[in-house]
Amino acid sequence: MRKFAIVLKYELREYFSNKIFMGLTIFLAVLGVGLLFLPRFVDMSGFTGVKIVGGSDSEEEENPDEEKPLFLYEDQAGIVQEDILIQLFPGVNWQKSERSAIKASVEAQEAEAGFVVKGKTEYEYYIFNKPMADHNTSLFQEAMRMFYRMDYCGQKGWDVEEIQGMYNVPITVEEEVLNKDSGSNYWYCYALVIIVFMLIVYYGQMIAVSVTNEKSNRAIEVLVTSTSSNSLLFGKVIAGAVAGVFQMGVLLGALLIAYQANREQWGGMLDMILDIPGEVVAAFALFGLGGYLFYGFLYGAMGALVSKTEDISKSASGLMVVVMGVYFFSLIQLTDVDGAVTKVLSFLPVSSYSTMFARIAMGTVAVWEIAVSFLILVLSIVGVGVLGARLYRMGTLRYGNPIKLSRALKDLRKSD
Amino acid sequence: MILEVKDIHKSFGDKEVLHGVSFQVESGKALGLLGRNGAGKTTTIRILMDVFHANSGEILLDGRRFQPRRHQIGYLPEERGLYPKRTVIDQMIYLATLRGMRPGEARTSAKKWLARLEVAEYETKKLETLSKGNQQKVQLAATLVNNPEMVILDEPFSGLDPVNSQILKDVVNELISEKRLVIFSSHQMSYVEEFCDNIAIIDRGQVVLDGELREIKKEYGRNRLMLAAENHTLEQLAQKIQEEWQGLARVSGRTREFLVLELSEGADKRTLLDRLARSDVDVEKFGRYEPSLNDIFVAKVGEEE
Repeated sequence: MRKFAIVLKYELREYFSNKIFMGLTIFLAVLGVGLLFLPRFVDMSGFTGVKIVGGSDSEEEENPDEEKPLFLYEDQAGIVQEDILIQLFPGVNWQKSERSAIKASVEAQEAEAGFVVKGKTEYEYYIFNKPMADHNTSLFQEAMRMFYRMDYCGQKGWDVEEIQGMYNVPITVEEEVLNKDSGSNYWYCYALVIIVFMLIVYYGQMIAVSVTNEKSNRAIEVLVTSTSSNSLLFGKVIAGAVAGVFQMGVLLGALLIAYQANREQWGGMLDMILDIPGEVVAAFALFGLGGYLFYGFLYGAMGALVSKTEDISKSASGLMVVVMGVYFFSLIQLTDVDGAVTKVLSFLPVSSYSTMFARIAMGTVAVWEIAVSFLILVLSIVGVGVLGARLYRMGTLRYGNPIKLSRALKDLRKSD
Repeated sequence: MILEVKDIHKSFGDKEVLHGVSFQVESGKALGLLGRNGAGKTTTIRILMDVFHANSGEILLDGRRFQPRRHQIGYLPEERGLYPKRTVIDQMIYLATLRGMRPGEARTSAKKWLARLEVAEYETKKLETLSKGNQQKVQLAATLVNNPEMVILDEPFSGLDPVNSQILKDVVNELISEKRLVIFSSHQMSYVEEFCDNIAIIDRGQVVLDGELREIKKEYGRNRLMLAAENHTLEQLAQKIQEEWQGLARVSGRTREFLVLELSEGADKRTLLDRLARSDVDVEKFGRYEPSLNDIFVAKVGEEE
């Protein structure tokens, strides 16, 4: 245990004295905090929907049309009501024009878009470059429907507002979610699955590189004759876990605190990502860390099977396929966390790190299921840890071509 | 403390590389493990250090099973290597604490050994910034940092210039005089000759000669004489001996300067000298042959070729 602590301390110093590691952590935390404080200093009301008191509103009132995109229209059918267009397109400056002028203005990029209403149910739309997400047509169609209804009701002598009131009667609902609200939990689950995937891949690679470096710089023979391979591999992997938890802790902590301080300015719009319930954070921490350790030991063993760092990708490719598969499956299955496949995967150590915590966050899961899944994960971590240490020990002095995992396992069986 | 290696067999895959290696060494003495490249020296040392497991055989220390991690051993592997991007002192303290020292004690010992090997000025430098020779000395300091009771050095002189070799020679002599148990393998016979009381020559995975060096030399010198002539080349002299004095002596070896003759049974030095005096051979060199370790090694391993 003492030797393990010595290795852990030495490996941790490697991370914490690494200027790139510390610099990146601080840079990302400052960047995230800076972005979350942005609405205090910059008008982001177009994005957040929250106006800053004493901000740029007054300038907007002084010259409301400035900066607004210009949309032109011609009303050949005599049904267009500009106030409705302004309601539906709040950030647009509308001007009446003629068809030929509309086309020329849009082509010259003096106007952003143009509409020619040819009949009660027919219009032409002009745009220079149509963006991927162009909402103008759908909004204008809505406007056309309203013009049509108003015109129709007028002809029949009906009260438009009364009819609209009947169609759009306000419904009061008192909603109480008795278990999980998938709608609001989905995005932070999505984010956490991505985070744990990135942690596994990033730190897993770092562990593998660290082990391979010890082989390539020939330090490994001195090390394995100075202490047990268990101490060496466990120290290395757990140091990586501590470094990962530290980095993620600093980043997430900074983001959550900065968001809480600026929640009002953001109008609560990031709640779906940054307002994470305590039990989900705890499940993420336990299962995420477990998954990380599980794969960390395997990455360490893969690092021991090669002699050059450039061969790690070859050696760890099978592992990478499993990690990627679990990652994509977890993201796809977030919409069906109570499905049978997700349930099965939430008990497998290769996938429980993301599927079980997704079930905890969004689905129905019994306490015993969480306990059993976690127990399986812990036992598997110990198992792959010991196996990883044996592979690490076996690969110690085997230089040259990468050793295949199947070959390494056979050799281990032989040596027993 | 007596370390005994008994009948060690080791295979890699289907190929047996050690076929029953045995030798023994005790505290205050040094054993020179000799052999050609690939003979099995490093494999034997790695089995001693528990890097590899033997297929059969045993290693005993004072009659009990030897477990390297339970003893303070200074091991300098053939494949040198430490952390190139870490400072010298950091990794020395790390290795010393891994081998059981307390951090404070480890720091003191690390500084002592760096000073002893004349590399103290580099203690805060990263290893990769040092010259090869200084890296080698740091590696030696790291080997000895835990003040080991047993020191195993695999080719310790390779990569050292004569000045650094002298420093290491002094250190090894100190270790021996402090009653440490020293095993070292080397191709450089002069070093082995200088330090080692005992040798074990390994050839193709087996010990072909072992024992006390003084006795081995005596044995190899027994009934052996050296002979060189002013008026004959070594070839001519060898031919003459083979043709004319077959019952008296035979050529058992040669150096650049003289032939090594082995007296036949019943013959003695005086008879041969008498015959020489009566022949046309103008003797340049004649006397008892004292083989060097190198001669013994070449003769022994050469015989096996």
